[in-house]
Amino acid sequence: MNIPLGHYLILAAILFAIGLAGALTRKNAIIVLMGIEVMFNSAILNLVAFWHYKHFAVPTAQLFAMFSIGIAAAESAIGLALVIAVYRHYKSVDVDEMRALKG
Amino acid sequence: MNIAFWIISAVAVLGAVLAVTLRNLVHCVLALILFFIGIAAHYFLLHADFLGTVQILIYVGAVAILILFAIMLTHNVTGTDGPRELLGLKWWSGAAIAAMLAVVLTRAIQGDKLAAALPAGDRAQSSVAEIGKALVGGWVVPLEAIAVLLTAALIGAVVIALEEIRKSR
Amino acid sequence: METLYPLLHATFANLPDWAVRVAAFLIPIAFIFAVYPAIFALTTLVERKALGRIQNRYGPNRVGIFGILQPLADGLKILVKEDIVPRVADKFTHFLAPVLIVVPGLLVYLVVPIAPGLVAVDLKIGVLFALAVGTMSVIALFMAGWASRNKFSLLGAVRAVAQVVSYEVPTVMAGVAVIMAAGSLSTLTIVERQSGGVLNISNWYVFRPWGLVGFVLFVIGGLAESARCPFDLPEAESELIGGYHTEYSGFKFALFQMGEYLAGMAMAGVTVTLFLGGYLGPGSGTGLIGRLIAMLWFFGKLAGMIALNIWIRGTWPRLRVDQLMGFAWKILLPLALVNIVAVGFWHFLTPRPVAWMVTTVWLVVWVVVLTKCNASAHLEKREYRYV
Repeated sequence: MNIPLGHYLILAAILFAIGLAGALTRKNAIIVLMGIEVMFNSAILNLVAFWHYKHFAVPTAQLFAMFSIGIAAAESAIGLALVIAVYRHYKSVDVDEMRALKG
Repeated sequence: MNIAFWIISAVAVLGAVLAVTLRNLVHCVLALILFFIGIAAHYFLLHADFLGTVQILIYVGAVAILILFAIMLTHNVTGTDGPRELLGLKWWSGAAIAAMLAVVLTRAIQGDKLAAALPAGDRAQSSVAEIGKALVGGWVVPLEAIAVLLTAALIGAVVIALEEIRKSR
Repeated sequence: METLYPLLHATFANLPDWAVRVAAFLIPIAFIFAVYPAIFALTTLVERKALGRIQNRYGPNRVGIFGILQPLADGLKILVKEDIVPRVADKFTHFLAPVLIVVPGLLVYLVVPIAPGLVAVDLKIGVLFALAVGTMSVIALFMAGWASRNKFSLLGAVRAVAQVVSYEVPTVMAGVAVIMAAGSLSTLTIVERQSGGVLNISNWYVFRPWGLVGFVLFVIGGLAESARCPFDLPEAESELIGGYHTEYSGFKFALFQMGEYLAGMAMAGVTVTLFLGGYLGPGSGTGLIGRLIAMLWFFGKLAGMIALNIWIRGTWPRLRVDQLMGFAWKILLPLALVNIVAVGFWHFLTPRPVAWMVTTVWLVVWVVVLTKCNASAHLEKREYRYV
C-alpha cells in the first residue's frame, strides 16, 4: 500500500467538514451531537494516521486515541442526558426553540 | 492494497454524509454506525488492530445504542418526523462554511512536505502487550484520570436525566 | 488457514498461486456456513425433544423416526409462509434487522479453533474480536423493535438491549481473567496454554478456582446475551406477545430464531475455547488422526454446553426484569472484578499449594459476602386483598 500521508489527512479534513456541516445546519439537537461524534472520529483518525506513518515505534498515539475515544463517549453521554432533560422542559429537541438565554 | 483505502474511505464518507442529511432519525443513526465501522476498518488498515476493536466495542456497541435510546426518549414513540428544514439560508451558509474549511485544510495539507511521507507498512506493528505495559507503566495517571472522568460522567448523566422526575413529584 | 494454505499448495502444486490462496480462504468459510447452521437445525430438534421429556411429554415424533425430519418440515413451512410487513412499519429497518442479527452470530465462529492449527482466521486479538462482534447484535435487536411501530415490540427491544448491555460487562471481565492467565488474546494460544497435564484434561482453566468462577460467569453471561431462558424476558410470550419479533413472520422470523441460536452456540463455542480447553482431550495431537480426534473432542464439548443450555432452559423459571438487572450489576460484576484479582494472586504467589489456598479462600469469601449482601430481606407474610 503506498498511500501518502496526505491522503489520510485530506480524508480526515473532509470528514471533519462533513461533521461540521451537520452540526451547523441541522435543527435536531441529537443530529448536532452526531455531527460532533463525526468530528471526533475524524480527528482521532488523523492521530492514528500520524502514528502509522511517523511514530510507529512507540504505542503512545494509540493510548492517546483510546483516551480520546473514552472522553468522546463520556461527552456524548452527558450531551444526550442534557438533551433528554431539555426535552422534558421544552417538549421539543429543536435547537432553534431553546433561546431562553438569548438577549 | 490501494483499492482497500479508497473503498473504505468511500464507505466512511458515505456514512458521514448520510448521517447528517437523512430525514428519519433512526436511519441517520444507522448511517452513523456505517461510518464508525468504516473508521474501524481504517484503523485495521493502519495496523492499529486493538484500537479498531476498541472503536467497534465503544462506538458501535455503546454510543450508537445511547443515541438510539435518546431518540426513543425524546421523540414520538412511533417515529414521525417534523417537516424537513428546506434549502434555506441556514443550510447554505452552514454547508458553505464547512466547504470553505475543507478547502483551506486541503490546500494546507497539499502544500506541506510532511504530507508526502510514505506508509510504514509492516514496520508499524502494534502489540497489545506493549499497549498494556504502557498503560500501567508510564501512563497510569491518565488512566486513573479517565476512570475518574468516566465515573463522574456516569453519575452526572444519571443525575441530569433523572432530575425532572424528582421535581414533578 | 495457516495450515490449510501450505497443505493445499503442496497437494495442488500445478494451480496458480491466487487460486490456492482463494481456496484456502474459502474452505474454512464454507465449513462454517455448512456445519454451524446444520448444528442449529439439529439443536432445534434436540431442544424440543429434550424440553418435552423434561415436561413429561414426547417432543415432535411424527415427521420421521423420532421426529428426525422435523427441522426439514419446519424449514419448509417457514419458507412458504406469507411475509407480512405492517403498513406503517419502517420498511428499510424492518428488512435489515433480521439480517443484522445473523451476521454477528456467524462472525464469532471465525476465531473459534476446532483442531490444532485449524481456525478460520488466527487473529492476534481473537477473543476481543469475538466479544466486540457479539455486541453488534444489540443494534439489530433495537432496530427490530423500533421498526415494527408496536409498543410491545419497543418495550421488548428496550428490555433486550438493557439486558444484553448489562450482561456484557461481567462476561467480558470473566474473559479478561482467562486472558491474563494465558498472556495472549489469540484463541489458538489460549487453547495451547491449556494443554499438557493429566490426559490433556487437568490443565483446563475450568479446573482452577478462578477458572470455575469465570466459567460460571461466562455461561450466565452467554445465556443472557443470546436472550435464552432464564433471561428470555424480551421474547416472553406470556408478557410481551413476542417482544421484538412480534411483527415478523415467515422467513424473517426464522432468521431471528437462527440468529438467536447461532449467537447462543457461538457463546458456547467461545466458552469451550476459553475454559474447557477447546479441542484438547486425550488423543488430540497434530497428525491427521490427532486432528480428527481433536475435532471430535471440540464438537463433543460444544454439544455438552448446548445440552447444558437446554437443560437450564427446561428447568429454571424466568427472571423478572429488575431481578435480572440487579443480578448483573450487584452480584456478577463485583464477582468478575474479584475474579480478576484472584488471577493476580494465582500468577504471583509462587508455591502452588499456597496459590490454590489463597485464591480459593478469597473467592469463597467474596461469593459468600456478595450473596449475603444481596439476599432479599425476609419475606413478609402475604396480605391478600380480596379474600
